[in-house]
Amino acid sequence: MTDTNGRTRRQFLRVAGAAGVAGLAGCAAEPVDDATSEPSIGTSDDEVTTSGTTTGAPTESMADTLVVATYPPFVNAPSTSPGAWLKEEFEAEYDATLVYQTPDSELNYYIERAVQGVDFEADVYVGLDTGQLIDADSKQGEGQFTGSLFAEAGDVAGSDRVKEGLRFDPQNRAVPFDTGYVSLVWNATMDDGEFAAPETFEELATGDYASDLIAQNPTTSTTGEAFMLHTVDAFGEDGFLDYWSRLQDNGVTVLGSWSDSYSAYLNEEAPMVVSYSTDQVYAAAEGQDLQKHQIRFLNDQGYANPEGMARFASSDAPRLARRFMEFVLRPEIQAGIAQRNVAFPAITDAPLPEDYAQYAKEPAEPVTFTYDELEANLSTWTDQWARRFAGG
Amino acid sequence: MDGSVGAALRRRVSEARAAASARPRATLERLTLPLLALVTALLLAVLFYYPVATVFVDAVVEDGRLTFGPLLSVLGDQFYVGRVLGFTAYQAALSTVLSVLLGLPGAWILARFEFRGRQTLRSVTMVPFVLPSVLVAAGFYATFGASGSLNAVLSALGLPPVDLLPSLGAILVAHAFYNAPLVTRVVTAAWESVDAGAVETARSLGASRRRAFRDVVLPQLLPAVLTGAALTFVFTFASFAIPLALGGSQFATIEVFIYSARRQLEYGRAASLAVLETGVSLSLMALYLRYERRQAAQRRGVRTLARRPLVPDSWTRERVGRRLAVAGYGVVVALVFLAPLASMIYASVSVDGRLTLDAYRFLLERQATGAEFQVKPFPAIVNSLVFAAATLVVALPMGVAMGVLTTRRFRGRWAVDALSMAPLAVSGIVVGLGLLRGLVFGFEAFGYRFTVTGAVAIVAAHAVAAYPFVVRTVAPPLDRLDRALVESARALGASRARTILDVELPLVWPGVVAGAAFAVAISIGEFDSTVILAEGGGSYTMPVAVERFIGRRLGPATAMGTVLLAVTAAAFVVVERVGGEFRG
Repeated sequence: MTDTNGRTRRQFLRVAGAAGVAGLAGCAAEPVDDATSEPSIGTSDDEVTTSGTTTGAPTESMADTLVVATYPPFVNAPSTSPGAWLKEEFEAEYDATLVYQTPDSELNYYIERAVQGVDFEADVYVGLDTGQLIDADSKQGEGQFTGSLFAEAGDVAGSDRVKEGLRFDPQNRAVPFDTGYVSLVWNATMDDGEFAAPETFEELATGDYASDLIAQNPTTSTTGEAFMLHTVDAFGEDGFLDYWSRLQDNGVTVLGSWSDSYSAYLNEEAPMVVSYSTDQVYAAAEGQDLQKHQIRFLNDQGYANPEGMARFASSDAPRLARRFMEFVLRPEIQAGIAQRNVAFPAITDAPLPEDYAQYAKEPAEPVTFTYDELEANLSTWTDQWARRFAGG
Repeated sequence: MDGSVGAALRRRVSEARAAASARPRATLERLTLPLLALVTALLLAVLFYYPVATVFVDAVVEDGRLTFGPLLSVLGDQFYVGRVLGFTAYQAALSTVLSVLLGLPGAWILARFEFRGRQTLRSVTMVPFVLPSVLVAAGFYATFGASGSLNAVLSALGLPPVDLLPSLGAILVAHAFYNAPLVTRVVTAAWESVDAGAVETARSLGASRRRAFRDVVLPQLLPAVLTGAALTFVFTFASFAIPLALGGSQFATIEVFIYSARRQLEYGRAASLAVLETGVSLSLMALYLRYERRQAAQRRGVRTLARRPLVPDSWTRERVGRRLAVAGYGVVVALVFLAPLASMIYASVSVDGRLTLDAYRFLLERQATGAEFQVKPFPAIVNSLVFAAATLVVALPMGVAMGVLTTRRFRGRWAVDALSMAPLAVSGIVVGLGLLRGLVFGFEAFGYRFTVTGAVAIVAAHAVAAYPFVVRTVAPPLDRLDRALVESARALGASRARTILDVELPLVWPGVVAGAAFAVAISIGEFDSTVILAEGGGSYTMPVAVERFIGRRLGPATAMGTVLLAVTAAAFVVVERVGGEFRG
């Protein structure tokens, strides 16, 4: 019935369940970007309001499909993930379809598309951190990637309730929607129940904790990067490499990814692993021994890794995208995402269940680097780390 | 009189007609080989050379100008050229030695002894090859780790515990876990096509058994052993997940640095390191191909060696010795191969030491109630099997055609050979990135943007990755084939294609079946191109499902891994049972 090209494209997206799939044939040829032969943005909510060719109230009408890009575990984790629930709740309220796109290379997929000058359908990216935003900005100007990848959030209702410390985008494009703290997870049943994790970074590097820690490589893992940044914060950019040398002499194990190190930890390879302070939420839900899932904040601090969402500048559904961001910031949705993503909400008054705080631990003092500090230094620090640690 | 002339004429006309009707078929048969070669070349160009070139350009082009800047800066960096490349080559060399040592006895047993389940055992040797590294790492930790089962056994025996992880040794053993079966597979196929007549002739001329082995059998096995070694070196040289998971970051290989450069969007550095890595791998491949070409020897008969029963009728000292060696090898195999697999299966049915089927319940629940955008187990199984079957259908003719082509004598043959082997020498990260930028994003021509994704593209990518194995398992025996057989078939009027089908193929069939098993293994185990070409669609496979099911507990991933293990083993048994019939 609706047979404009734009409609069919949107419907196609819905049917395919994800954007960018060219079907079984596997090959496709589309006319290259050209104002006159570009029918694919037919139902953009902006165009509707400006062109006015569609009947109905122009100010109220919006695109009917929102393409949300995110990292795979957000929709596909084996325990719980917020994806399916969020889609259901959103669609129940808005007369729109939410389609997920979960490229394996996460945000890099879109940055690369922008550089190559290839259109993409995603409207919003969910699950962005400071480092990724810096990556996206640093590539600007390369190839056909001219403007910012993301648009300014603008007037998103509810964003004023986001905790101040979590805002990480100086240009106010990314809006934080949850946060996690990178901390130590430790096993109190090790050493015949005698083991207790150290309180400070200094203690961690002493002989009492020789070969007791599993961490991750900052160049290949997000938790590894956060933990390294925490040591930069604790020892300064002139001192953190020496601290890592001490850790290395003390027998720290540094593996490639969080999953490698966590599975080594589950196999009781060492009594401590760098992970998240929400670790007990899973363990409790699974009925596992909480003694094996203790949390330690070194120096009473935890490195905060807020996750943000931002609207792509190229989105053809900006109004629906903004509605979505407002929706995500609502207290009950914040609580729902936090529980399913096993994280902390970005606002203070999300109605979490009583026992959530019992299992999800927050540090006395969250530590994090600002966008500007990381932009100037992050790649230098990780390169220095890799050169000092690898081959050593 | 009239009648007989008429009959003769009629006969002549009908013969001419028959000849005329046969001609298109003959033409088709004559064209089959060049056509297959052409298709192979096209597929390689579209699915391999073009995408990989889009990545390598970053190493030599800066701001649109050809400067070689990134490449030169990596080549001039002592850290990359000395430490990283040095360590990468060192661990690859050690891994290769260990894989060959561990793989050869397996080939000896499978090729020379008869016992119940031999055929099945031979089929499932390829299973380790397809397992996702994250599961292998988990299995290794559960077996050889500080609190692993090996230490449990040691402490039960009153022995002190050993701490094997993380270490260089663990990397080597895990590499052997992946690659020793490959050596076994290639060498078994070669051993099974050794000519029994030649051995008997040598023996009848007074050669001792050992002498006959050294002078007759060994020269025929050597190319296969070196094939296995060369492949192992190339694979372990580009190894990524295993060193990171079992060795820790102080043992980072060049591939780790490529991955992290790509993650930080430092394409110039990633591409330069990839050029360096590919340069080493390809040189080694080319060296090996030169050797293999020189190695070509004539062979006469086609009768293969008879196998001895594993349990002999009567025992002599020598027989006891051999059986003890077999038993000793069995213990090593159990430790290196079975224990990690058993640990993985155990992890899928236990939480905190309690037995539970929660992980399998998760798979069923995900199947029943999972959202359309989530990865479900059953479609993953079906996709894996469909892709594997399709890969087999595409890669087998491609591989045989290239095998026949590259065993012919012509100028520049080694170049064609090396170019057609290149998919083995380029790392998964580079191919993956190339596919993403070159094909998924597409290229512009004539005002259109052409993109290649979806199931057909996945099968094509799998076939490109798999067919070199078919080539490598059929080329050496093809080379050793008696030219006179082929020539007499041709002289008797058989077309080139018919000669291949009726004469050459049956003689190299063990190699073809081995290649088929490789093709299935590559397809089932492949991750990078699958996940990129299936972007967002429903074309995910079992390894993709395993990676998606990794979380804060091992259960779901290991349960999916166990399914992968079972389905793959069954697939291999089918491939070899069906493939084995051709010999008749």
